[in-house]
Amino acid sequence: MAKETLTEAIAVAKAPEDTVAKKSSSFVAWIADKGIFVFTAILILASMTFVDGFASLQNVTDLFHRAAPIGIVALGMTFVVITGNYLDLSVVAQAAAAGVILIAVSNAYNLITAFIVAFIVAIIFGLVNGIAVGYFKANAVIVTLSTTYIGLGLLRLLSGGSQVFGPFDGPIATFGTSKLGPFPYSAVVLVVVTLILTFVLSKTNFGFMVRSFGVNERSTRLAGTNTGVIVIGAFLVTSMAAMIGGFVLAAFSNTAVSNMATGYDFQALAAIIVGGTSVFGGKGSVPRTLLGVVFVSILSNVLVLSQISYGWQQIAIGSLIVFAVTVDALGRRVGKK
Amino acid sequence: MTNQTVIKVGTGATGFWGKLKVALARRTEGRGVALFIVIASFVTVSQPLVFTAYQVTLGRIALIGLVALGLTAVILMGELDLSVASTLAVSGVIMTTVANQTNIAIGILAALAASVVISLVNAYFVAIVGLNSFIATLGMLFALRGLALVLSDEQPVKLENTDFGIAFGQPLVGPLTPRILIFFAVFIAIQVFVSRVKAGREFLAVGGNRQAAYDAGIPVKRRIFTGFIISGGVAALAGVVNSLERTAADPTAGSTVLLASFAAAIIGGNYLKGGKGSIVGTLIGAASLGMLQVALTISGVQVPVQEIFIGGVLLLAVLTDPSSLRAVWGSISTTFQGIKNSLAK
Repeated sequence: MAKETLTEAIAVAKAPEDTVAKKSSSFVAWIADKGIFVFTAILILASMTFVDGFASLQNVTDLFHRAAPIGIVALGMTFVVITGNYLDLSVVAQAAAAGVILIAVSNAYNLITAFIVAFIVAIIFGLVNGIAVGYFKANAVIVTLSTTYIGLGLLRLLSGGSQVFGPFDGPIATFGTSKLGPFPYSAVVLVVVTLILTFVLSKTNFGFMVRSFGVNERSTRLAGTNTGVIVIGAFLVTSMAAMIGGFVLAAFSNTAVSNMATGYDFQALAAIIVGGTSVFGGKGSVPRTLLGVVFVSILSNVLVLSQISYGWQQIAIGSLIVFAVTVDALGRRVGKK
Repeated sequence: MTNQTVIKVGTGATGFWGKLKVALARRTEGRGVALFIVIASFVTVSQPLVFTAYQVTLGRIALIGLVALGLTAVILMGELDLSVASTLAVSGVIMTTVANQTNIAIGILAALAASVVISLVNAYFVAIVGLNSFIATLGMLFALRGLALVLSDEQPVKLENTDFGIAFGQPLVGPLTPRILIFFAVFIAIQVFVSRVKAGREFLAVGGNRQAAYDAGIPVKRRIFTGFIISGGVAALAGVVNSLERTAADPTAGSTVLLASFAAAIIGGNYLKGGKGSIVGTLIGAASLGMLQVALTISGVQVPVQEIFIGGVLLLAVLTDPSSLRAVWGSISTTFQGIKNSLAK
């Protein structure tokens, strides 16, 4: 598999030039590359025309509230996906831990202490995952699976598994309900995180190394890079984003419980894949993930508004993932010819 | 990657000990056995009840291990099947729904038939379209969970023939319940298939080096289809057994099973990149986890602490993988070399 991933990764790296050269001839490759822009535009236009209540201010605010926490988590996880390490399952535990710590510790002590504790916890998560994957070269899925177990177990043990509530007039509650114009603060955080992470991934040395590592791990190492540090960095970025996502999620409802982020791992990955970031690593960007988040959120919002049951929503999202990766795979095959 | 199971037959295999050494070098269950011994001796001292009440322990091992056995067939080929969790839920729902209208035998057949269809879809995307199995089955995980909810109307489906369900939970042969018997039957079937049947032995070749397997004339795509049908079918069987024992099918079942069965396969020394591993290893992994869980439950340890233990064992299993240790040793020695070099200057 590793060898395959390597050749796949090289193929991915070559794909953009090939697609540019054969743009006119390969429709599938073009769809694989730019399709998400078209589909998102079509989805938004169709929803505005055909779905009652989609374009209302209330719904847009609601949409942002739902999209922001999962979006922030997905933006951070993009780094891990780009390094070619599939995903970080432990964001479920990380976001929940951040939320519970934010509310429980700020109740017991104060907000600053809560931030510091949550920050330390996020660093520990990122370091453990990063060292195990970066230096021990262990499979990221299994490592983050076990840290999810450990993290959620510790969280349930320490919080007693019960829901924690913040004071309804505290700063967290105020943050969760306030708006900047029509946008809730959570949406502002989402945009700020996007800007920061886009800068980190596309302009900094670290971001370059992350992408380079995803394209070809071996040559990055032979070029004298300490690849272990790059992997740890990618996991730390994910941890930080998961922490912020957990904060936003907890602030929205002003409560937190250990299972509040259940499903965030695969939902975030779905958004990343739909946005066009390749799971083989190397290819992808932060704004693409934002677009993927927007697409998936609007889709599930429209399905909810059309009163389609939860079961059918899951079927839709599952089919969407398979469709997105199929198009990606076909596009790459066309690009190679 | 470097294939560490180099067959050294003929090079150092002199005498009994040499042969034994060669035989052991080719096995992958070492860490699984070590962990098993540690847990078993720990349990013998602190909670001998685990062995006296062996029906309970065996039941737990069968619960964890059944899905893991099927999963191992796919892991040997270097693929993953995340959709087993939802296949389990879907087949349970189908089995109870059909059984309520006709009878249980037709219900079970319907569930197994559904699992074959699901596996064919999975294998089609992996073998023919060429998707990464992790992502393709991730999509199926979502879609099938949705299907289970749609089919069941988001309600647990009660099995109307409760007598059969209750009888199914009772010991059948001696103290062994049907679940345990099915578990061992599946274990023997897959073990024989993978180690004695040509098609099964080729799984390891497909996992070790797919291109070489293809060049050697192994029908790689057909083997991938077979592997997914095994993992899907066994997951469906687990769903059927669960629903029969509980006389109801839960459409949301399966998420904990997924994690536990992965843990069992990994602890048993199966190599996620494929080509190395064994069904016996998975059995040892499931046995270790099952014993640990039962011992912790008997000791009255809270569920969160049990989760921490299982997570810790899984992390330990991953980090003590020989290739992991070699990788980290490589990093350390490179670092020291760097320090030495800079000191020499």
